[in-house]
Amino acid sequence: MAERDNQRWIHDLRTPGAEQDTALADLHANLIRVLPHALTRWLSPGDPALENLVEDVSQETLLRVLDKLDTFEGRSQFNTWVYKIAVRLALTELRRERWKEVSLDELMESSRKDPEPNIVSQKGIEPETATEQNDSLRHLQRILSEELTEKQRQALMAVSVKGMPLEEVARRLGTNRNALYKMMHDARLRLKHRLEREGLPIEDLLEMFNR
Amino acid sequence: MKKILELFRRHPKEKLANDPVMDGLLRAVSMTDEQELSCDEVFALLDQFAEMIKRGEDAARMMPMVQKHLGMCPDCREEYETLIKMLETPTKGFEKP
Repeated sequence: MAERDNQRWIHDLRTPGAEQDTALADLHANLIRVLPHALTRWLSPGDPALENLVEDVSQETLLRVLDKLDTFEGRSQFNTWVYKIAVRLALTELRRERWKEVSLDELMESSRKDPEPNIVSQKGIEPETATEQNDSLRHLQRILSEELTEKQRQALMAVSVKGMPLEEVARRLGTNRNALYKMMHDARLRLKHRLEREGLPIEDLLEMFNR
Repeated sequence: MKKILELFRRHPKEKLANDPVMDGLLRAVSMTDEQELSCDEVFALLDQFAEMIKRGEDAARMMPMVQKHLGMCPDCREEYETLIKMLETPTKGFEKP
């Protein structure tokens, strides 16, 4: 298999015919070889699902690479750029598969079971202190509902607390991941500014809830 | 609210309870910057960033906003880690050094 620098890759892939075919075959072979190792957190080697996914993702990556060839800026090695595309495709699919049975409502349900902060049940907490801490929690929850939209609160809960991928939350909220991140950033910023306005130093709050 | 902060300051060993939900949220809030890159912007820079890391360069210092986003965004962080893993596998002569 030939060694190619960035220029060579672009040239070969732009030239329909033998050069393009060989370049695509080389990319494909490399992806098949390298992807499985990177996805072991999701699927074990030898799992037929892994083989299928890798093949599908590799094919899709080749299409995407050809389609986006003009956007390659040469800031990295061509192969790294290709890998990046493959990674995004693979993880999007893996996330969809893992979370397909989970609705946003279900996710939120478990946290709705305990709407009232209930700290007194933890061992060793003085009742007066627990009451005051419950008051603080209620105050913080009030801040959350005043500063954030329902969507923002759902998103923050789902992502930060329940570990749902942004892509999956975005899909359920009818938006995309990029927009969702911006929405969440806005939410975090609002909370930050609000806490600052109330003269509540975050470092102190953090220490209070993380003992 | 301020009362409990004062209580806490007066008696730092006062036993208060953990609340991982609030803790996680406050942590994210405390790390929030006025300006943050979006996922698309970070994706565009991810290959560059990953290669810097692989070369042992101080990517956090050179691309701090990418670093910050990766600290705030689990999806992008996961993609970054997976990309690094792919780069760790030798390419068998595909690339010129």
